[in-house]
Amino acid sequence: MSLAKLADIDRRVFYWILFIALMVPFLSPIGFPITLSPNTQDLYDGVTGDEVEEGEVWILNFGYGVSAWSECHPSVTVCTKALFREGAKIIITGTHYDVELTYNKLQDTCRADFDNKVYGVDYVFLGYMTGGESVVAQLGSDIASVYPQDHFGTPYDEIPMLEGIVDNADIAGVLSSDTGDYGGHFMTQWQSAYGTKLAEIGIAMNASTDLPRWQAGNFFGVSVGSRGGAELEQLIGELGEATTAMDSISVSHLLLILAIIVGNIGVITEKLGGNK
Amino acid sequence: MSNIFKQEVVYAITGIVTLLMIVEYFFFATNQIWAETIRTWAVIIFNISLFLGAIRLTMSHSVRIQEKRRDWQFSGVLMAIFVIMLLTGIAGYISTGVQTSNGIYNWLFNYIYTPLGATLYPITGFYIFSAAYRAFRARNIDATLMLVAGCLVMLKNAPVGEAIWVGFKDLGNWVQFTGQIPGMRTLAIVGALGLIAFGFRALLGKERGFYAGGSE
Repeated sequence: MSLAKLADIDRRVFYWILFIALMVPFLSPIGFPITLSPNTQDLYDGVTGDEVEEGEVWILNFGYGVSAWSECHPSVTVCTKALFREGAKIIITGTHYDVELTYNKLQDTCRADFDNKVYGVDYVFLGYMTGGESVVAQLGSDIASVYPQDHFGTPYDEIPMLEGIVDNADIAGVLSSDTGDYGGHFMTQWQSAYGTKLAEIGIAMNASTDLPRWQAGNFFGVSVGSRGGAELEQLIGELGEATTAMDSISVSHLLLILAIIVGNIGVITEKLGGNK
Repeated sequence: MSNIFKQEVVYAITGIVTLLMIVEYFFFATNQIWAETIRTWAVIIFNISLFLGAIRLTMSHSVRIQEKRRDWQFSGVLMAIFVIMLLTGIAGYISTGVQTSNGIYNWLFNYIYTPLGATLYPITGFYIFSAAYRAFRARNIDATLMLVAGCLVMLKNAPVGEAIWVGFKDLGNWVQFTGQIPGMRTLAIVGALGLIAFGFRALLGKERGFYAGGSE
């Protein structure tokens, strides 16, 4: 077979190679060591230890749907556990219409921690909000105007935990988890405007947008995709689905690079052969 | 007269709202009630636009089904699901105040939508695999640089990279933090300056692309 043919392999060959290769880590986990990124370490440090005081209220915003569970949810799980264990209270909001599914999943992945907490006292689920950056701005100036009641229909002023929680000044920090750029909206309308502590949990594709904001100090920490989740799982000492996914990511990334090399060998051979 | 409402009034409202929001953001330490009212209006208008979107969707797909245009069956499936979700959601809301309390709505969400949503994203991995093979070709120096940078960042992100050679992490970090982040920061600053210019043009009524059929 001429090496030039390597430049034009049928795409179905790649689909099958990837499919079979991804079976390997499922059947026999590899467990490559995972080193910590400074942005993930900063995120973990910001939701643990002296950075969190008992009883303070944090907002956890779900800006991702079911399709991004694999990338965002492990990090959200670890941060929720960390905040609960520090005695913080959490207001859960959502800017993605899958918010209820994600809330149910969080109850599953942090079951032991939720079991020790009381709804309405330690945490509250306000549900879905629409309105883009405007609603994020409005949330900063009057939370009850955006959410006159929680997701289950209980009026805002009848929820014990929300007594005295009016606007951004009553919120200790915001964790924004995103497939889009709600982290950017919180940065403009909360962090820049009022100095609220803000961190971002984003899909890997958002890293190029999120990391400059972390370097500039707008985000106190950033978790990037499943890798960020795996690092956080390591930090809290409870390995979960992101750590499991790391083997698949290793295999798929390695195959991707091999495919690129193969394709380029084909192209170079074609060129050397004079494009006959 | 109608032209005044279509254009001048729209520009005037945009200009006034822009000015008020700028003044509130930069000149007041505390939130102003008038600014909060405007933001609440914005949220309400946003929600109305969702409702209008649903009506437009229904109209557009109804016509496709009626005229039996190409692939009209897909429109039929969309309309059927749309009606089922709408009715079951309303039924749940009327009975308990929570739309997801309806069994059918919940079942469709948990057992159809969730697995489909969870499957859709990983499937793109297969396309990316094939697309990267075809697109990442070292045809010139620019493409080669992009290819090498991309591979280094991939090897940095995947734990296997460090397992092969520990230096991949440092190289990937260098590409990301020294090469890519300054570029993104430049882009963000330039974009922000563009946004300021856009805001001023909107304020002066010169930005006309946002109203129906508008152009400068």
